[in-house]
Amino acid sequence: MLENISSALAILFEPMRLLALFAGMLAGMVFGMLPGLGGVAAVSILLPFIYLMDSYSGLAMLLGAISVIYTADTITSVLLGAPGSPASAPTAIEGHALAKQGKASLALGVGFLASMVGGLFGAMILSVAIPIAGPLVLALGTPELFMFALVGLCFAASMVGKDIVVGLAAACFGILLGVVGAAPAAANYRFIFGQSYLMDGLSLPIVALGLFAVAELIGMVAAGGGIAGKPMTMGKWGESFREFWISRWLIVRSSIIGIFGGFVPAVGASASTWIAYGHAMSSTKDKRRFGKGEIRGVAGAEGANNATVISDLVPTMLFSVPGGPAAAIFLGALFSFGFYPGPRMVSETPDLMYMIVWSVALASVMGAVLCFAVTPYLARLTRINFALIAAPLLLIMVAGAYQGTQTFGDILALLVLGVIGWLMKNAGWPRAPVLVGFVLATPMEQYFWLTTQIHGFTWLTRPGVLIIASLIVVPMLLALVRKWRAKRSSTSSDSTEQESHTARDDEAPRDTAVLLLASSLLLVTFAYAFYEMLGFRSNARLMPALGIVPGLLLSLYILGRQLYRMRQQGRIIHLGSRQELPVLAGILGYGLAMWLVGFNLATPLLLAWLLLKCAGMRLISAALYGAIVYATAQGMFALMRLTPPVGSWINLPMPW
Amino acid sequence: MFTNTPVLKTLSAAVLVASGSIAATTATADDFYADKTIEMVVPFGEGGATYVAAKFLEPFLEKHLPGNPRVDVQTRPGGGSILGANWFEQNAEPDGETILFTTSSTSNPYVLGMDAVEYDLAAMRPAYSLPFGAVIYVSPSTGIDSPAGLQAPDMPLIYGGIAAAASDLPTLLAFELLDLDIQTVLGFDGRGPARLAFERGETNIDFQFTPAYMSQVVDMVEAGTAVPLMTGGSVGEDGVLSARDTAFPDYPSVYEVYEELYGDAPSGVEWDAFQSIGAVTFNFGLTAYLPEGTPDEILDIFEQTITAINEDPEYQEQSQDAVGGYSLLPASEVSESLSEALQPSDEVREHLRTLLSEEYDVEL
Repeated sequence: MLENISSALAILFEPMRLLALFAGMLAGMVFGMLPGLGGVAAVSILLPFIYLMDSYSGLAMLLGAISVIYTADTITSVLLGAPGSPASAPTAIEGHALAKQGKASLALGVGFLASMVGGLFGAMILSVAIPIAGPLVLALGTPELFMFALVGLCFAASMVGKDIVVGLAAACFGILLGVVGAAPAAANYRFIFGQSYLMDGLSLPIVALGLFAVAELIGMVAAGGGIAGKPMTMGKWGESFREFWISRWLIVRSSIIGIFGGFVPAVGASASTWIAYGHAMSSTKDKRRFGKGEIRGVAGAEGANNATVISDLVPTMLFSVPGGPAAAIFLGALFSFGFYPGPRMVSETPDLMYMIVWSVALASVMGAVLCFAVTPYLARLTRINFALIAAPLLLIMVAGAYQGTQTFGDILALLVLGVIGWLMKNAGWPRAPVLVGFVLATPMEQYFWLTTQIHGFTWLTRPGVLIIASLIVVPMLLALVRKWRAKRSSTSSDSTEQESHTARDDEAPRDTAVLLLASSLLLVTFAYAFYEMLGFRSNARLMPALGIVPGLLLSLYILGRQLYRMRQQGRIIHLGSRQELPVLAGILGYGLAMWLVGFNLATPLLLAWLLLKCAGMRLISAALYGAIVYATAQGMFALMRLTPPVGSWINLPMPW
Repeated sequence: MFTNTPVLKTLSAAVLVASGSIAATTATADDFYADKTIEMVVPFGEGGATYVAAKFLEPFLEKHLPGNPRVDVQTRPGGGSILGANWFEQNAEPDGETILFTTSSTSNPYVLGMDAVEYDLAAMRPAYSLPFGAVIYVSPSTGIDSPAGLQAPDMPLIYGGIAAAASDLPTLLAFELLDLDIQTVLGFDGRGPARLAFERGETNIDFQFTPAYMSQVVDMVEAGTAVPLMTGGSVGEDGVLSARDTAFPDYPSVYEVYEELYGDAPSGVEWDAFQSIGAVTFNFGLTAYLPEGTPDEILDIFEQTITAINEDPEYQEQSQDAVGGYSLLPASEVSESLSEALQPSDEVREHLRTLLSEEYDVEL
């Protein structure tokens, strides 16, 4: 074994292969940083290139990209507050809050280091795939997979800040988005409105982009100025190393949680990150800073998500069952190079196995180093007038969304979800639970269905199920006990005063008009969904019902509460959202223009509007900058081998 | 076109083969594809089985097509392959430069007449097919050691699948045809997760397509944790799905198992339904379609190219691992049977629709 470990290192240290690994890392970093373009986009763009290389180089390139995605997307999550995936949502919540307090470097530094540790743990579990990881994967039956998803959702929904009603309603809405498309249990299509586009359901990048990135973009363009509002102070790295050392055991435990996430197909990082975040919360004595910039939240989440993407490779290599979407593409690459994953491949080609382990380990460390190196430069971008960055960012988002199915449905879905995200943002509602509910709805439904079909109700007594269930129940009981004790031992008035003070903080004035609109829309949506749901076959009804029925009641309550509050206050408050309306209209207009005249004509119009009107650039510099952005966007479409959206009226053909 | 008249179909296939030998000598075919790029549309995601097979064939097509074109595999996933196929129907020109490479996931919705389908698969012209066989196997704990044992297992049989209207359809039709008592649990993510459930002992009867069977199940058979029973079979000379799968000559086909269990050759609407869906899933598992109206010259070019690829020793060597060692089927061996399988009688279609909606709760 030892000789294989060193010979694999020699294989990897061929200049060509190191170069390939490095190129993959660079691509992974860029795509990790771009909002909405995560691991799948990076790996599928690299895929055609790997066929030009020998098998080890090609695989090293893909591994380089896979290993750094979650390290690099820490940057976007912290600086922009827009997570690239549900697995980065905790980082976006805590890290962005820290960035706003001028502690961006702390959040980023701990995030990078935690990701690195997670990656190294992933590499370790890969190296013991046959003796340890394999039996673990086989020990997790369908009921355990279901429980893992359930626990992840519970953690995500319960950690959404003070207003638990809104948080739960948001999770329910996420479930509703998640059940669009074919039902796993009965071949029943749900909420597709006769559109074949919706048959496969909504795609995750589009939901993440729409809910977060579009809304943030609108807000920032409308506000003018830089991302941070005021020049963002980075702070020094030193503090992050100290904080990392303090949280080291938390990061190790989170990485182990993350490893298990990798063994659970389809659920993976979305659940494990939230479980790790919940663990960070329950293992921290002072919980008040959670949601407002708690570094331990970042440490836990980042340790877990990177460990999960790497340990996704375990079921991929041992059973040729990919643990996640990026691993699925990696599996295809293995096949193409004539490697047929299975226990036999792992035991008969140890060089390949350890080459993979080394690639992942090396990329995890180098990725963290690179992230440290580029962050100061990226942080400067946050001071530039955002309208300038918005132009390329919006085009990247369009390209990222369009990569889904290359139909106009992608653009439409992006815009509709963008409007929803914008409404939620201005209503002050949390969006992370929507994302988590969306991701976990399908696997939960699928695993529940399979579980009850295969095991009846005996599954509830399986030891694995009980162990995972204890992850929810034990902290809940502990919290109850603690509360009860606190109540008995002290009735000090200052703590309650403090609580009411923080409660008032949360009651910061919000835009009543948007709140009213959002609550009414939510109620109408759930009411319609309820009506539609009654027509589903019974097997296809369970999961939607789990989201829709509570969603309907919660939204009824939210609307009622809103009306009551408005009566009490006796006035309607209009806030910042009104200034954002022109920008929202501009972006919707861009979508309409794209539908009518295609991407090639609509984009120059968008650029003219953004650069001249919103950023106030001079004509010549705007033309120059616009031309560069336009050319880059076209180049990006070419690189992804996509034809940009074509207009339904006219289409401007491009010379290439 | 002439898709509804079998006589004409046979005739056209004959003309096609005949003209193929003539076209070979003309100069125009020699460099037909020079400096051209063929866009190979795969209506599934990167890394899936169809993508991998398309990438595997890519260098061989580039090498053997006259003029050595560049073959560019493009993925267009969505709608369970329906979106990609719809796109192809609307955009592909019949100039031989755009090809749809797909599986029964595209043909089953077409055969069943689902609403979302906007493509006319039977009107398209198949250029070649790659068989995609499958083996049905059971767990030794069921006490079954031969197909006959399926009728009296030691414990209830439980099968894990994806969805009734997808690639599970031929297997479910085979169970139906053989009148087996099997509990079907649908809703798995793919054949891989279904196999994992089999390995964990959650299910005890499963099937895998040839490539996955070779890399995963063969080891299990050797270790005594899986017992192979039968294959879907392949289309024989007579056009019936009765012959043995060329990759697994030791295992009987579903047809043979029926004969063994019931004494007679299978017939009737249940057999016709299995044959129609089974042929498209297994024998013509991966098929390259050219758009409707593609001229015969182009089909001739493919006819010769496929023959050349099959004879290429490199293909013979590599295909063993990559695609189960099947030879490619040229258009002359595909067109007629595939066209029949894609257009079953109304009775068969009705049988399939009733079965799916009543037994498997499929909304059509």
